[in-house]
Amino acid sequence: MHMLNAIRPKNRTIIAYLAIPVVMFVFTVFVPLVTALVYSFFEWKGGPVKTFNGLSNYIQLFQDGTFWEAFGHNIYLVIACIIGQVGIAFVLVMMVNSKLVFCKTIHRTFGFFPSTIAAVCIGLIWNMIYHNKYGILNWFLEAIGRKDLCQVWLNNSDIVMLLVTIPLIWQYIGYYMVIILSAIASISTDIFESSEIDGANGFQKAVYITLPLIKNTMLVCITLCIAGNMKAFDNIYVMTKGGPGTSSMVMAMYGYQVSFGQSNMGYGSCISVGIFVLSLLVIGGSQMLINYVTREKEAA
Amino acid sequence: MKNNGTHKLKKGFLGVFMNLILWIFSLSCIFPIIWMFYSSLKEKRVFNADIIGLPSEPTLLNYTRILSNPDYHLGASIWNSARTTLLSIAMIVAFSFIVGYILSRVRFKLNRVLYVMFLMGMLIPIHSLLVPIYIVFQKCGISNQWFTLLLPYVSFGLPMGIFLVEGFVKTVPVDLEEAAAIDGSSFSHTLWTIIFPICRPILVTVAIIQVFSCWNEFSFALVLLKDVGLQTVPLALTQFKGQFASDYPKQMAAMLITMAPILVLYFAFSKQIINGMVAGAVKG
Repeated sequence: MHMLNAIRPKNRTIIAYLAIPVVMFVFTVFVPLVTALVYSFFEWKGGPVKTFNGLSNYIQLFQDGTFWEAFGHNIYLVIACIIGQVGIAFVLVMMVNSKLVFCKTIHRTFGFFPSTIAAVCIGLIWNMIYHNKYGILNWFLEAIGRKDLCQVWLNNSDIVMLLVTIPLIWQYIGYYMVIILSAIASISTDIFESSEIDGANGFQKAVYITLPLIKNTMLVCITLCIAGNMKAFDNIYVMTKGGPGTSSMVMAMYGYQVSFGQSNMGYGSCISVGIFVLSLLVIGGSQMLINYVTREKEAA
Repeated sequence: MKNNGTHKLKKGFLGVFMNLILWIFSLSCIFPIIWMFYSSLKEKRVFNADIIGLPSEPTLLNYTRILSNPDYHLGASIWNSARTTLLSIAMIVAFSFIVGYILSRVRFKLNRVLYVMFLMGMLIPIHSLLVPIYIVFQKCGISNQWFTLLLPYVSFGLPMGIFLVEGFVKTVPVDLEEAAAIDGSSFSHTLWTIIFPICRPILVTVAIIQVFSCWNEFSFALVLLKDVGLQTVPLALTQFKGQFASDYPKQMAAMLITMAPILVLYFAFSKQIINGMVAGAVKG
């Protein structure tokens, strides 16, 4: 509710209060966006010379196999993390909420912990785990007598995407667990009690009662997951830099490489615009899909 | 009776199974830290001989070597991160409070325009700004300065803060300000002495969310800072990784030093932190 006009502050006061944050925000968010859009029409290798070249950056972008491969990897991350993070989190939450489980607070505190650590640290830690000589993974395989499976893990281009996804999933399971837990805590316990009287087992309770009641929270989780993985960069930068070759390249990493590795600022701006549009499309598209699917269910 | 017995057995088995799974998960979440801690007390050759065993002669050598050598810039990077984080949070909290309050309470022409603008700030995929921000900052000569990172960190943190405050202020009865005005309190006086204390819980939430994202942020620091002396913690760690690719105990010691503030903060206030982060994620 707005305040009475009689006590409304003078325009001067409002402007004085809003000027700094608004100018700052526009300068760091909207000015770069427009700049990127402008430079995406130029050939510019970072030097003083910029030549207008129309749509040729965009034509190059459309035909750039690496960019689309990177986009595919972002989608891979999104799907793997929705299943891995939100899915596993839901299953673990069902377990934590069971009467048979003890030390719930410890699981919450420990589980949430990795999500507070810098992605850079997580990447470095998993580098150590995957290391061929001093890594825990190879140590473990040796310990169980499967030395034949030991390898230089992050050099294997067939599985490198899976290997960089595992730390990401592991890092955020606890985060989603806590979100889902807090949603379930707000459900009235009567519902669960009456369903128990009716003879529902744990699985039935989870799927037919809990899941529909926390649908909105699950959708928030999925949206967070999509937005989070479209911007994947830190882990990849630390673990593989997109390699070997381009087999773990993601969009932000590619934009970084083109812009700073090859100092191709014009094309880098064009890639930035591409990332902007594609991310909005994926996030917006998934929202529409979710709305469509859930609406149909309600009608049925 | 027999049926009941198997049921109980089944339940007992299920209970053991579920507890086991959860303990495996929980321990996996903190095991890396524990492994890093006791491994950082080993010397390199001891670690290389046995990566998993406990140190037989624990030593703080790795820590003293890292901290005493100014070439590693570890102390400087911690100072840089701390300064950037604290200033960013102070600005985010203050600006979120001011903008959120004004957008929620004061009628003026551009109110809805600003509202939509900050809302868009939440939807914009920020990572697409990585290269453009570098270009703009370079042009304006404000990249690679001690204050450079404040601009993106504050700007990216603002939208969520503003909407949390805006939602919170809506629940505060407007009579309060009117009564204060009748008593002769000016707008600014009411804002800071009456509304600010009321908004404290939501501002604490905003601060908690931002502590972690500022302290941990990597990509913009990577792009905007070139000077080694200005590096924040995540940048310093990636440098370290290059220098000590094969000296794991040293890397681990460095990581633990830089994680220490977060670790202490987290385990001291885990309940508030978890609740704050969840509130931010769901409402934002």
